[in-house]
Amino acid sequence: MALLEMNGVRKRFGGVLALDDASLSAAGGEVHALLGPNGSGKSTLNKTLTGVVVPDRASITIDGSPVAIHGPRDAHAHGVAAVYQQLSVVDDLTVTQNVVLGLEPTRRLGLLDRRAARTVAAEVLTRFSPAFAGSVPYDAAVGALSPGEQQIVEICKALARRPRILVLDEATASLHKEQVHVLFEVVRELRDSGVLVVFTSHRMDEVFALCDQATVLRNGRTVGTIALADATEDQLVHMMVGDVERREEARRSHASDRTVLQVRGLTTQRLRDVSFSVAQGEVLGLGGLQGQGQSDLLLAMFGAAKIHAGEVLYDGVPLPLTSPVKAARAGVALVPGDRGRQGMFAVRPIQENLSIASMHRRATARLALSQRAERRAARGIVERLNIVIGGLADRISTLSGGNQQKVVIGKWLLNEPRVVLLDDPTKGIDITAKEEVYAIIRELADSGAAVVFNSSDNRELLEMSDRVLVLFEGGVVDELTDAQVTEEDLVASALRLEAGETL
Amino acid sequence: MNPAPPGTREPAPATLAHWWGRLRDIQVSGTATVAMLVVVIAVNVALQPNFFDQYALTSNFATFVPLVAIAVGQTIVVLSGGIDLSLGAQVTLASVVTVQLTDGELGNLPLALTAGLGVGVACGLFNGLVVVVARLQPIVATFATSFVFSGLALVVLPRPGGTMPSEFTSGYRDSVLGVPVALLAILAIAAGWLLLRRHRVTRHIYAVGGNAEAAFASLVPVARTRITAYVIAGMFASVSAFAILANTGAGDPFIGNELTLTSVAAVVIGGTALRGGRGGAIGSILGAIILALVSNIVFFADVPSTYRQLANGLVVILALALAGIPALQKRRSA
Amino acid sequence: MNTPVISSLRPPKVLSPVVLAAGLAIALLIVGEIVSPGFAGHGQIVNMLRVSAFLGIIAIGQTIVIISGGEGIDLSVGKVATFAAIIGSRVMDGDNTKLLPALTLALTVAAAIGLCNGLGITYLRIPPFVMTLGMIGVVQGLILAYTSGQAHGRAAPFLTSLVNGKVIFDLPGLLFLWLLLAVAVTWMLRRTTYGWQLFAVGANRVSARLSGIPVRRTVILAYVLSSVFAGLAGILLLGYTESVFLDLADQYMLPSIAAAVIGGTLLAGGIGGYAGTAIGAVVLTVLQSLLITLEISAAGRTVINGLVLIVLLSLYGRQRRLRT
Ligand SMILES: Nc1ncnc2c1ncn2[C@@H]1O[C@H](COP(=O)(O)OP(=O)(O)O)[C@@H](O)[C@H]1O
Ligand SMILES: [Mg+2]
Repeated sequence: MALLEMNGVRKRFGGVLALDDASLSAAGGEVHALLGPNGSGKSTLNKTLTGVVVPDRASITIDGSPVAIHGPRDAHAHGVAAVYQQLSVVDDLTVTQNVVLGLEPTRRLGLLDRRAARTVAAEVLTRFSPAFAGSVPYDAAVGALSPGEQQIVEICKALARRPRILVLDEATASLHKEQVHVLFEVVRELRDSGVLVVFTSHRMDEVFALCDQATVLRNGRTVGTIALADATEDQLVHMMVGDVERREEARRSHASDRTVLQVRGLTTQRLRDVSFSVAQGEVLGLGGLQGQGQSDLLLAMFGAAKIHAGEVLYDGVPLPLTSPVKAARAGVALVPGDRGRQGMFAVRPIQENLSIASMHRRATARLALSQRAERRAARGIVERLNIVIGGLADRISTLSGGNQQKVVIGKWLLNEPRVVLLDDPTKGIDITAKEEVYAIIRELADSGAAVVFNSSDNRELLEMSDRVLVLFEGGVVDELTDAQVTEEDLVASALRLEAGETL
Repeated sequence: MNPAPPGTREPAPATLAHWWGRLRDIQVSGTATVAMLVVVIAVNVALQPNFFDQYALTSNFATFVPLVAIAVGQTIVVLSGGIDLSLGAQVTLASVVTVQLTDGELGNLPLALTAGLGVGVACGLFNGLVVVVARLQPIVATFATSFVFSGLALVVLPRPGGTMPSEFTSGYRDSVLGVPVALLAILAIAAGWLLLRRHRVTRHIYAVGGNAEAAFASLVPVARTRITAYVIAGMFASVSAFAILANTGAGDPFIGNELTLTSVAAVVIGGTALRGGRGGAIGSILGAIILALVSNIVFFADVPSTYRQLANGLVVILALALAGIPALQKRRSA
Repeated sequence: MNTPVISSLRPPKVLSPVVLAAGLAIALLIVGEIVSPGFAGHGQIVNMLRVSAFLGIIAIGQTIVIISGGEGIDLSVGKVATFAAIIGSRVMDGDNTKLLPALTLALTVAAAIGLCNGLGITYLRIPPFVMTLGMIGVVQGLILAYTSGQAHGRAAPFLTSLVNGKVIFDLPGLLFLWLLLAVAVTWMLRRTTYGWQLFAVGANRVSARLSGIPVRRTVILAYVLSSVFAGLAGILLLGYTESVFLDLADQYMLPSIAAAVIGGTLLAGGIGGYAGTAIGAVVLTVLQSLLITLEISAAGRTVINGLVLIVLLSLYGRQRRLRT
């Protein structure tokens, strides 16, 4: 019998329908993969189970009886614990304090029992001591740890809650291979002791190595569940993306031989001596484990990070990278990685969102705006990028994720950029919109812009890029130029696997 | 193979635009706080040669206590990720209620002090509810409630007046085994904080201030924790009110107004980040003493009386500005 | 496959705060008329509008600063207005020919104070509430140092006649000036690059920075404008009272914020406009008149004002829930 049964889960965020009749059914003692493209609603479904998201509608049964989950405490009472994609650790607290957070052992009058806390923490953390290079930093602030180590702390926090149902949402995204090995061992032990592990990952080899069943989401709906023993990767991918035409000739390169962009020895707080060059019309991909400096590199190239050393040249002339204002004026455009928090002005109209980066070009004396000129510019972009909107005066937050992203991209097109930096631009948008974004990127490159493109989706990274740089701990460790590069090669390079080594 | 070469442990990429996230993430280092304290003491001694005499010490400490108490209260709210701009008004309200109920009689004192404490708790609870239940930004919510509290204070005591029993005021100026009672009060406040810091509620306060969403997902009762922080701050406001009454012996419906800003300044120079989750009250106690000594300096340095307020105002702004100077800031341990 | 067309799913339009505020003003007038006949008579209304104008002009700057976001607020407006009036009165000293120098000096000093606020907030990262609260103390100190505790001078007759005299249609010139400023500010907010940048900065500073907007400059200018409008209001207030007191405009701090909030300017930043604020100023003025008519003490009015602000904030300005 199914230990967990979720049915008819529906959740809307503003204009975005994150879940639309999603379901999940899984038994105890199994590792159940929850798969789907970025933005298909996996995290939202997980958070519905853990009580962090209030669904518009949902029916959840655990052990056959319906349960009402009104918050994380209810979920905990039913034995649910989670590793969140967006970690739920508090940077300023120590490792031990984070592991026992919310369930601190106390003595009389609510005074903390530090020794008991340490015991609880040690129980789960010692397993992972190889992942900490030998010694567990119990008393270090979590904010001072590496991304992988932070992820381990998050995992240990969930394990310390002794769950019957453990959700692992992209828990391996920033782990090194040693850390992945330990995690897999632990997951297998939990499975053998009857725990249900819901496992979400982008890496297919991990899924096949670890999971028994897989449920696939697409655009917020459950497409189906299959046993992995008799499924192929192609089958899974087909379930995830549907009957979308594959872009056979996506990697046709129109890159010219003329190098226009040169990055030389770029060093910031998070980047180590990064150098590369981009040809006119080329799409350069950035890959690797998540959080290895990809976003930081793009921010630095946009003047949004303090540069300790190095420079970026366009046509041999250094770009002014002391502030985004100057970078934008010099023709650099950045589509940032977190649309909601870095890309758009949620409460402002679509019109302003589109005009904001280029309006000074159309204004009289750089000050007085003509409503007609602004409207004409905005309409042009809406048509060109096929943005589905009600009216230009509507708030951008009323749009779907894909259309929001197209507005964020369109804002820059109006500024006619020479260098376009894209940080995971298809995150959280539906498949149709993804294809349109790919087309825009191609068009930009074809029109002569130098494009640097980071993606957390290895498949799209390979399909879109002429070349891929692999980053690790703030430095470039590999460059994949061969047209025959596969996803496996990319993952191996990101995890720095030795030749022949597998997970 | 260990993929992380030693020495490359980068600070966590706070994934989201860390460069803007640091808006209020600044923290004065402990060394800087202590250095400031040493400097102001030195200047004080130079200007006031009898600084270390029993009498001067006693009266100095007597003026520190109100600020120290309110600074500790402010610290707790700030650590929880909020701010309380009504603390000064709470001090005023608690003090006028206490002085009215005491009415100069020693026998009324226990009841009056209890009521004064109750006022602090009630004000804190009100703030907490407004912030948590009505979900208003703490900074404006407490600004608005400060008008409610100071208006009520004027209703209770329309103009300065009322007296405290002389035993109460003279006891405060007394000393035990040569240690001024006011100094003992400061030590007691510090000890109270150290005990509080070992309590689960305080751990939750740090967690909520550090990252409320993470704390919530980790089963911390966020709403209750926030309310508790305001209530504790209200209790410290009452303590501050009692110290003021003991020091002045009379009620004044405007007495606490200046304290709010000074309490924030004390928190900042004491090394607690205004964004919450990081710091502690011991620094704020030192910060309060530093600020009190600075006004001593302004007083003893023969600043013309018409310029004294300007000097004090500038000192507070400068103290706040100090937190923006990178050299004085605490480095994140990496 | 489902399509992402969601334009029909826009959230239902809530009643606009501007309309709501206007309704509130009328309701208060009706209540006043019932409680005390004559409350809403022509002369009374003109007088209330004139009193509203001072608040309304101070609240121009407050609105701009609140729109700029980042917990933006200017608590020093009252003190700055007072200081400007004190400087103005001393320089003009009842002489029409000295009106212009007086105005220039007063507004320059105000702008300098605003610049300090803006620099402290952007470069030293002092939270606006704290910075501008601290500035109150500094400006009070400046006032004491400048006056030695004794205010001097008198309003120039022209200023007084502008504010108090009837210019056209039996209405004081002040009301026309207010209207002019309202139009100018609304144009600035809605039809200039600065206005759009201000809203963008208020709506999302990170996005603003990553869109190539000079965030700091935008914010600093907001605080300068706030102080300048406060200074202007102080000078006009001087025309009304003719001579100056050391706390002339201090009490405008809270109402200037409340007026903006009533008018639908969101304390979180990025949303708002001046029309609402202007009506908000009228609402508050009518409310004060009503409270005075009801013989409620100054202390009681303070309590009520605080409570009104809390209630209004709970109506418009609530924060996101943790559990979404
Ligand atoms: N808190 C939120 N506010 C607004 N939109 C959200 C929020 N959380 C998720 N979304 C949107 O819901 C959709 C599904 O997101 P998510 O569940 O994170 O997908 P996945 O985990 O499969 O990548 C996306 O379009 C995302 O942008
Ligand atoms: Mg996800």
